[in-house]
Amino acid sequence: MKLKVCGMKYQDNIEQVAALQPDYLGFIFYEKSARHFEADNMPELPKSIKKTGVFVNADINLVIKKINKHNLQAIQLHGKESPEYCKQLRQENIEIVKVFSIKDEFDFSVLTPFEDIVDYFLFDTKGKLPGGNGYAFDWTILNNYPSTTPFFLSGGIGLNQIDDINKFKKSVASKYCYALDVNSKFEIEPGIKNISDLKIFKNNLISTIMNYNVNEKGYYGEFGGAFIPEMLYPNIEELRQKYLNVMAEPEFIDEFNQLLKDYVGRPSPLYFAKRLSAKYKTKIYLKREDLNHTGAHKINNTIGQILMAKRLGKTRIIAETGAGQHGVASATVCALMGLECIVYMGEIDIARQAPNVARMKMLGAKVVPALSGSRTLKDATNEAIRDWINNPVNTHYIIGSAIGPHPYPDMVTRFQSVISEEIIWQLKEKEGRENPDYIVACIGGGSNAAGTYYHYLHEKDVNLIAVEAAGLGVDSGESAATSVLGNEGIIHGCKTLLMQTKDGQITEPYSISAGLDYPGVGPMHAHLCKTGRAEFMAITDEDAMKAGLELCKFEGIIPAIESSHALAIFEQKTFKPSDIVVVSLSGRGDKDLENYIDYFKI
Amino acid sequence: MNRINKKLEANKKLLSIYFTAGYPSLNDTVSIIEELEKNGVDMIEIGLPFSDPLADGPTIQASSTQALKNGMTTEVLFNQLKDVRKSVSIPLIIMGYFNPILQYGVEAFCEKCKETGIDGLIIPDLPVDVYHEEYQAIFEKYGLINVFLITPQTSIDRIIFIDSISKGFIYMVSSASTTGAQSGFGEEQTNYFERIAKMNLNNPQVIGFGISNNDTFTQATKYAKGAIIGSAFVKHVTENGITTIDKFVKSILN
Repeated sequence: MKLKVCGMKYQDNIEQVAALQPDYLGFIFYEKSARHFEADNMPELPKSIKKTGVFVNADINLVIKKINKHNLQAIQLHGKESPEYCKQLRQENIEIVKVFSIKDEFDFSVLTPFEDIVDYFLFDTKGKLPGGNGYAFDWTILNNYPSTTPFFLSGGIGLNQIDDINKFKKSVASKYCYALDVNSKFEIEPGIKNISDLKIFKNNLISTIMNYNVNEKGYYGEFGGAFIPEMLYPNIEELRQKYLNVMAEPEFIDEFNQLLKDYVGRPSPLYFAKRLSAKYKTKIYLKREDLNHTGAHKINNTIGQILMAKRLGKTRIIAETGAGQHGVASATVCALMGLECIVYMGEIDIARQAPNVARMKMLGAKVVPALSGSRTLKDATNEAIRDWINNPVNTHYIIGSAIGPHPYPDMVTRFQSVISEEIIWQLKEKEGRENPDYIVACIGGGSNAAGTYYHYLHEKDVNLIAVEAAGLGVDSGESAATSVLGNEGIIHGCKTLLMQTKDGQITEPYSISAGLDYPGVGPMHAHLCKTGRAEFMAITDEDAMKAGLELCKFEGIIPAIESSHALAIFEQKTFKPSDIVVVSLSGRGDKDLENYIDYFKI
Repeated sequence: MNRINKKLEANKKLLSIYFTAGYPSLNDTVSIIEELEKNGVDMIEIGLPFSDPLADGPTIQASSTQALKNGMTTEVLFNQLKDVRKSVSIPLIIMGYFNPILQYGVEAFCEKCKETGIDGLIIPDLPVDVYHEEYQAIFEKYGLINVFLITPQTSIDRIIFIDSISKGFIYMVSSASTTGAQSGFGEEQTNYFERIAKMNLNNPQVIGFGISNNDTFTQATKYAKGAIIGSAFVKHVTENGITTIDKFVKSILN
């Protein structure tokens, strides 16, 4: 987020503030303001700082005069300026920021006439004065922001708001927030800014926080985007334009939460694993996604997406599946809503996951074998995408992981973020604090990890550990450790890390766990890996299977083999006795019995 | 002038043929090109095979898988084509998915295309906005024409945008489908063909997907400058090898 410091008045103070390199400096050209800029000249400023003139119902000729005289790069209009007025100023080739004041509610339709005319909106607190009232409005009003025009957030922002801003940044409302605008809360007296406070604010909030959320173009750093054939463009574009608005509708939120509670059985427990903790001499908590209806975290996403599909007016659902967990979760919600469901599954997976194939059929889904390529998850995904190309109008594709073209990775992550949302209050109840020291999750495409990390992404004191499947060993040629073996490329519509030949042909991964047997990772995880925000570890089949069996014997819980990978890190990494380590137990092991039986000759 | 533009000026309906490089045998590439030119084909799309061809139906998928098994790679293709301009003058377009090009290096790929005498590219999964923002300058530096797809679902605004940045022709996908589907065009398609023809776009249109014989070729070229045949040709060489290409082309044009 950019920073604008407004209400600059005095020469020395301007230079001191400029030295902190904010993105915008505001000069108020309004005589009634205590911060009215009266000086004849502005000091020379670095080119990176945009000089912004602030006006209130000023004569347009005066505005143009000031633009030319002070070489302004932006203007901010605080009065009742009309769209025509703004349009006229467009010819001056500068950025235009139109201000709207918000009190307890706001009618967003007043923005519409300005949409294509101004560059930014600025939302300020409605008070007696046109700006500078010194207190904040209720930012949750912006949850319903219907536009994609970036905006400045203003009104009473000071050092005390840092926590609120961090929360705001994680909320839907901040999606199009381009900049923070500060003024009176950083003043010694009107027009004189407190340099040390501004420095603290900037260091704490603006410069040191790396953004791990998706940006408006669908990228996490350099990863993400939507690399799709034109045939899919209308579908993806419709979803991109609507998903945030739909997810912010109060009725949608109510219906989603209600189903998670009554149908899925949420909140899932956060369980203190006493005997396991004693063995590894640290405090281990298990987030019990395995107790969800259908046996894994996958259902959180399919519930969200089926509600999304209904709101988009879709009547036919397609999904891909590897081991069958996402296929079962998709078939389940389609049965719940009475929608047609077609699940693509690799021919080889169909043969080795018979119980899940039967489940899907019992739930009314049609299971279509993917016969191309290696006939596993990657090819099932290709077939689902091809189906969507052939049925663009009535069909919604429920992608099961935090992968695919934007907005899928972000949408799936948001539906799964209920996992970390619950951990926050559950841990507070149990330990008196919201943040654990470590969060551990296994990663195939990465949806359970994305949801388990989500609300902790920007909490610097929480270490994130991502556990990939090493298969028979990272160097064995039979592995799915994408962060080690992969490099940047495009798979299933997004730019991310994937396993491929030097020629760019996507290769076949291997893992004993079908859910981790994917040659890519979601773009958010590629970014977390590249920036070092998350530590990536690779666990072999053997170590995972042992850890799975250990959980059975120590805690009476049979985990999915995917989740066993996350549990296996305790043999490899030592934690302090005081550390709190939360492990996402993403699924239960019923589906893997055959594998466990074969492996341990039970 | 780029060979594609020159060909588009010709006063005739154009037949463009797609084939998968390295299929049926690894070293068939140049023979197929020469044979197609000799028999009166106007443009050729050389398919660079990819492991995960999302926009393709079963025929081209199978040919891609086989071509990769035969040993086709980007490097091998450029080697095969290095002297192709000594024997043919027909416009040549490489059609491939973006990941292999990205791994080769987009600029290196474009440079190699120019060196080889390739005139244009069709990259179905490189979206027009990403091309426009990141790669257009590179493509143009090497004189390459990038061809974009439109479909029956593409909005008018987007068609106009695509037209504005196209420098050769627009690839009109005949219906919502992957390659090699359907037989014959219904009213829905002809309405769409008519609708686009009436837009009087700057770039001529060439229709692809679902063209397989003289009948569909004639129908499509009633509304457009030309038509592209892919799956039907790949199927022909699968069944008959590459010695009867003349018969295939004749069956389309007569």
